Amino acid sequence: MKRPVAVVGVGQTRHASRRAELSIADLVREAVDRALLDAGLEHRDIDAVVVGKAPDQLEGVMQPEQFLAGALGAHLKPLIRVHTAGSVGASTAIAAMTHVASGLFERVLTVAFEKQSEGNAMWALSPKMPFTAPLVAGAGGFFAPYCRAYIARTGAPLHIGPMIAANARANAARNEYAHLREPMTVEDVTNSPVLWDPIRYLETCPSSDGACALVLASEAQARRGPRRPAWVKSAASYAEAMWVPGRDQVNPLAGRVCAKHVFERAGIRDPWREIQTAEIYVPFSWFEAMWLENLGFCDVGQGWHIVDRGEQRFGAHLPINPSGGVLCTNPIGASGMLRLGEAALQVMGRAGDHQVDGVKNALGHAYGGGAQYFAMWVVSTEH
Amino acid sequence: MAEPPVEPIKYVDALVRLPYHYVAGDCRARYLRALKDKKILGARCSQTGKVFVPPLVNSPESLAPTDELVEIADRGVVTTFCIVNIPVIGRALELPYVVASIALDGADISIHALVQECKPDEVRMGMRVEAVWKPDGEREGSHEDILHFRPTGEPDMPRDAFLNRL
Amino acid sequence: MSRLRNVAVVAFAQAPVVARDEHRMATEMLYPQVRRALADCGVERSAIDYQVAGSADYIDGRPFGFVGALEVMGSWPPTQDLHLEMDAAFAAHYAWIRMQAGDCDTALVCGHGKVSEGEPRRILNLELDPYYQAPIGLDPLATAALQASAFMARTGTTDRRLAEIAARNRAAGARNPDVQVRSSASADELARTPWAVEPLRTGYVPPLGESAVALVLAAEGKAERMCDRPAWIHGTDQRIELQTLGARDLSRSPSARLAAERALAMAGATSAADVDLVELSAATPVEELILCEALGIDADRSSPALNPSGGPLVGHPLMMTGLIRLGEAFRQLAGRAGDHAVAGARRAIAHATNGHCLQQNLFWVLGTERRWT
Repeated sequence: MKRPVAVVGVGQTRHASRRAELSIADLVREAVDRALLDAGLEHRDIDAVVVGKAPDQLEGVMQPEQFLAGALGAHLKPLIRVHTAGSVGASTAIAAMTHVASGLFERVLTVAFEKQSEGNAMWALSPKMPFTAPLVAGAGGFFAPYCRAYIARTGAPLHIGPMIAANARANAARNEYAHLREPMTVEDVTNSPVLWDPIRYLETCPSSDGACALVLASEAQARRGPRRPAWVKSAASYAEAMWVPGRDQVNPLAGRVCAKHVFERAGIRDPWREIQTAEIYVPFSWFEAMWLENLGFCDVGQGWHIVDRGEQRFGAHLPINPSGGVLCTNPIGASGMLRLGEAALQVMGRAGDHQVDGVKNALGHAYGGGAQYFAMWVVSTEH
Repeated sequence: MAEPPVEPIKYVDALVRLPYHYVAGDCRARYLRALKDKKILGARCSQTGKVFVPPLVNSPESLAPTDELVEIADRGVVTTFCIVNIPVIGRALELPYVVASIALDGADISIHALVQECKPDEVRMGMRVEAVWKPDGEREGSHEDILHFRPTGEPDMPRDAFLNRL
Repeated sequence: MSRLRNVAVVAFAQAPVVARDEHRMATEMLYPQVRRALADCGVERSAIDYQVAGSADYIDGRPFGFVGALEVMGSWPPTQDLHLEMDAAFAAHYAWIRMQAGDCDTALVCGHGKVSEGEPRRILNLELDPYYQAPIGLDPLATAALQASAFMARTGTTDRRLAEIAARNRAAGARNPDVQVRSSASADELARTPWAVEPLRTGYVPPLGESAVALVLAAEGKAERMCDRPAWIHGTDQRIELQTLGARDLSRSPSARLAAERALAMAGATSAADVDLVELSAATPVEELILCEALGIDADRSSPALNPSGGPLVGHPLMMTGLIRLGEAFRQLAGRAGDHAVAGARRAIAHATNGHCLQQNLFWVLGTERRWT
């Protein structure tokens, strides 16, 4: 990174299964307006706009950033549109950060969104693929076998997934923007129907309408802002091929490599001790345990122990997803940026009721594809 | 002139209908045609010798081209699986059903397929399975020529044999 | 303008544009181009720090269609990567920004997509706002025709003029082995073709076609070892404007004008007319004229050479036409343009566009010498 970059503004929508009172532009503006207000800036202060979202089939509009150019304040500005599947919100924020790091842009607005209620999300995500048999409906069907493999490898007891889900809901109750906020017990989860064994209904992410926007700025601009910024210490997005013999889908190499990259560049040698909170992409409960290992917070096989001991709960040693995470809010395009934005809010001391005490360093993480795309950053109170 | 609407318009319905006509590609087409003859073909990497099924034009691992098609056994081992309770669009499958990742003998990557002819809770990681084909005369050279996989009854394979072949 | 990092195009490989490749899927079309681009600059995939691609799910007819391209781009071991839902030229632009940030020294840029598998005219209708514009049923030919009407009304440009521009592009295409339309045609012939959508005749618009492209960028220090005559990037800029057709003066492109201005300023160039050739992503002769106006180039003069490759009129694979313009500029400067070479070319401009009616525009200014020493 050529020069320091900071997050100076964060905005997000109230996420819900259907924001029927808003058009696509309205949804995007709810997040954008909040981010600009948060940063104390106006559209004319923004030098470039970086947009991210997941498959356009979800809204039935191809490249909607084109018709949204006006709503995004992008007229006569540079604009790009990123799409890296589930990780897109995060890789988008990182692309925006790179714009500022290049020295060519002082303040960049980045937005990630999905208004998936507009289309038929199930169809959009699982259409009939040519030349292959349709086998499962929904992403859970693809990932459930790997959750099973994790359980088999580690001997994790079956209550771990439900514990993670119940904890996520408890966290979401402290997040005014989250989609699913009703508390539920471990028993509620265990009693809910199995969708794709071992994944149950109440440990599955919802389908949400939502948007997130951030303003990234250079050091000079960040220091002029009204509030304490979140400095981006390091960031990277990696991808790996799917059909590599011996590829590990439970502990993907791209995730391990990406985490190592960002921790090293951020000068973090012991993430478990030096990171105070992490917003990681958990669409199905078991991934929380799996990602703790993949990210290097603990050794392989130990992730579920952390959950069992409650060490990743709010108020415990390393609160994971204090916002409630993807399990409680999942506008696909926005989810990755929400992770990175929530990590920034934690460092800025502005996460409201879900603020973790004493955050100096936070990790934001997202993944996508057949667990092939990984995008993450470390944000800090210092640069 | 008609009265203007009293209620503002809130929703616009747009039915999007887009036909697509896909190319299988010679590589996939050969694989599909071989299914008619009850043959499963894989492609071998010219550099590492690893075998990919269905065949790919190159190895994603080495980036080298694959140079020959080889016949893979129509039996292998379940490396992992899930039991599905949600119906698939466009297909009438009795719920619950099992989808498994299957490492066929001779292949270096796994395929995904249904496992049937046993109760879902009887399926195990390490279980040996074999393809159940459509009868002679009914196969058309499409992915539907393999109906599903079923247990062979052989002893399960030890974990080490498939644990890193998800 | 403070000193930036010198970055060059060091390799470009393209599948000849065809109406439909019956033998390969989109990713299978891309694979040989990736191999060729790497071979041309004499490196293994492991020597490339970064990969970035451009494509569109709607063209692919499947959500997450781009994920399959990871298999043919060399994504093992895991690599830093990005994908844009835009013409691959914008992916190249982002790679350039990354190099300026010091985050990579080399990049593989790919474009893929098989337009023949869908019905692009219907698909691209979906690019328009879903409330007011898409429901009218406008497709890109219709919107281009609206723009053409507006331009011709303002400037008095004649049908004959459009025919002449098309004929010039056709003649150039006849010398380019990678294009889809390889026969020349006279202005008379083209002026007699029927209306596609008035005032655009079928002879003035490209057929639908597909291809796959791979291009390699490298920063100073690496570029020299990968190519004997790198095409150095002197300046670049991109801008978008509003989409709403009724809110714009369709006869002009302010985003093209601004992007061109900024790219030229970065390049330290006083005038676009000083370069030897310009490759424009102009799908119609009207777009070519609008872009020349934005660049401040007199389209009637013989220099700079306009679309010596034949331009999109003779080969227009969606999601990569823009990257091909950059690749063609590279070929010219690197002395690899064969029969369609512009003799002694030392500086070039390449352009990419996105959206209907030139809504978004990207310009590159390139040269055989480094910009910053």
